[in-house]
Amino acid sequence: MKNPFWDFRSVPAQRREIPLDRIVRAREETLDRIVQGYLQLVEEEVRDLVWLAEESKVERAYNAAVRSVGGLEYDADDIDEFCALLDSSSKIPYLISGPAGIYISALVNRAEDDRIVLCPKDYERSFHFLGYKLPEGKTLVLQGDVGDFTGAGLFGGCLLVEGSVGNWCGAGMMKGEIRVAGDAGQNTGEWMRGGEIHVDGTIQGVGTKFYGNTGYRVLFGGKIYQKGKLLVSRALVKGADQVSKGQP
Amino acid sequence: MTQDTNGALRETVHAIHRYIGENLYFSRPDLEIRGKKFNAALLLSLLTGLRQGKALIIGEPGLGKTTSAEYICSLLYGLPLGTVWASEVSGHPEQTEEKIIGRPDLGRLNQGEEVVVWSHFVLLPAKIVDEINRLPETKQSMILDGVDRGNWEYLNDAVINSEYCLFATANYQDGGTHTIIAPLIDRFDVMVESKHPGPNLAFHIGMGGSNGTGLRNEAMETELHRVLNQRIPYKDRMDQVEELSNRFGEAVERELGVRTLSRPDRETIRSGMNEIPLDVDTNAFLRLVLAELSFCSHYGQRRFHEGCAEGCHFTSYLCNTVRNCISNRFPSSTRALSQALAWFMGDKQVGLEHVKAILPFTLAHRIQWKEETLARREKESRRDPLPIYMAREAVREMHRRYIEQADRLKSALAIACRISDGEPLEPVEGDHPIYWEIRRDLGEEVLDS
Repeated sequence: MKNPFWDFRSVPAQRREIPLDRIVRAREETLDRIVQGYLQLVEEEVRDLVWLAEESKVERAYNAAVRSVGGLEYDADDIDEFCALLDSSSKIPYLISGPAGIYISALVNRAEDDRIVLCPKDYERSFHFLGYKLPEGKTLVLQGDVGDFTGAGLFGGCLLVEGSVGNWCGAGMMKGEIRVAGDAGQNTGEWMRGGEIHVDGTIQGVGTKFYGNTGYRVLFGGKIYQKGKLLVSRALVKGADQVSKGQP
Repeated sequence: MTQDTNGALRETVHAIHRYIGENLYFSRPDLEIRGKKFNAALLLSLLTGLRQGKALIIGEPGLGKTTSAEYICSLLYGLPLGTVWASEVSGHPEQTEEKIIGRPDLGRLNQGEEVVVWSHFVLLPAKIVDEINRLPETKQSMILDGVDRGNWEYLNDAVINSEYCLFATANYQDGGTHTIIAPLIDRFDVMVESKHPGPNLAFHIGMGGSNGTGLRNEAMETELHRVLNQRIPYKDRMDQVEELSNRFGEAVERELGVRTLSRPDRETIRSGMNEIPLDVDTNAFLRLVLAELSFCSHYGQRRFHEGCAEGCHFTSYLCNTVRNCISNRFPSSTRALSQALAWFMGDKQVGLEHVKAILPFTLAHRIQWKEETLARREKESRRDPLPIYMAREAVREMHRRYIEQADRLKSALAIACRISDGEPLEPVEGDHPIYWEIRRDLGEEVLDS
């Protein structure tokens, strides 16, 4: 049918957008800025595209990520969208699991939402360091299996994993709680100083295992439960002082 | 066609208008457009004649309804006054199709041939029906098609006028008049009153100051009568009529100093008028007018037999006071006459002033007001007959409403244009019926709130 308003095609009009369009565009802009922050982080921290999970590097990457997301306004949905984008989009040329997880953690920790739900089961790739330094008052729910260093450096937050975690879950955590519905890998709770880790499945290994010197586990505090039973706590730590001096 | 050609023709038309006003049809000005004063009956009849329109001229007997139309037909179409008189159809109860349209050629019928003798009324391009409302309703239907399209049929023959205008006069209701049926009255582009000119001009008329005898030409009338009665194809007859019209025009120019229009002149004028665009405000204003005169939030549109729904909150718009739905002939008439007025005034666009001047006359006979509305307003002080007065007031109201929201409405239409082109925008909302109608045109059925 002929456009009955064609005579007004060149009449200036203040366009009134459907609110949904405005929301979608704002979300796209936010997402673009989040992606730019991530790419900048990767460029600064991972120049040769190889990244080692060393404490100093992790700390530096996290601080850079926090700076990067500092001026952004976003919410839990933006974080979820970014994760999906990291997993599949051509917008992001390279995914490095460590920095990606640290960046996501920075986003989670700086978000205004108290409870954030991410869905790793929907992702093909695995992210490390999810829940890194999760602060007090925040709850992060991870639906699905996650990678290594999940909940590392946890700082009072509550991390709920509806799946299994990789190695070094809760490594160096200070306080807070990690609950894993599935299994946990090696070195769970290594260097943890407080808080609790509850694993409903099987824990492959707790703390640092010294080959040839069985039974030594390095924890400076906190408790680890397996299937509801206390597996290890500060009281059970043996040789912690020795080990802490002798080990990195 | 050039601007110069149209400018020269405009001067010719102005001269005709001036000549009629100063010599033939004495009248007071009752219409002001941008500071210029006109007599509505004369101006609108002139524009109707130029535009190939149809005008219904109402008024008291003897106030120049028919004579003004006759002078205009004579000068615009180059026809001697006697020829115009001879082609007129009078409305009376005994009028027959044979007298109005045509009759069988009795001589040929006796020989077994069906040949139609067309009336001069049918053949000539300038037509006048005198006292149309003395035709009974049943006989008014006979001229419906002819009035509408210039399409006249009798027996198995037909004449389709390639060029024609029609003037009908109507007296106010008396014992011998009938109601003009709605389909017929809607076919008139304008309705205008031929008013009393006032005692001083009337005295002057009585003293013989108005004299149309200069437009008589007996020799030419006889010749035209002969040509029109020939049994030759319609087109050939009209070619000969045109030739005689041109000769009559030369005689009029020589004797009266005023030039008549030839057929190519009229075609050039019409073409010039058609090229004049409506400006954006006029376009938007007309849409607002159409919305008010057709809208019903409850029943979808106005219908003659349906009233207003109880509790409808659109009480301040015309839809609440009219009974019928305005026809599609109305915007067509308004455009044509507004273009004609803009051309007459030498303007390059049809603006609000033009359309505001024309609207009361294209609306007056087309609006059927609710009885309570008529009763409420019929005693108000006025200078026009009630239908024209009420139409004029309605236009004033709608124009005020338009001015209050012109920017918003133009925005709404501009946004609607973009939405129709697929842009994801939200229609502009408003309380006026036009905003509702825009949303309906965008595919959104809006129900009464």
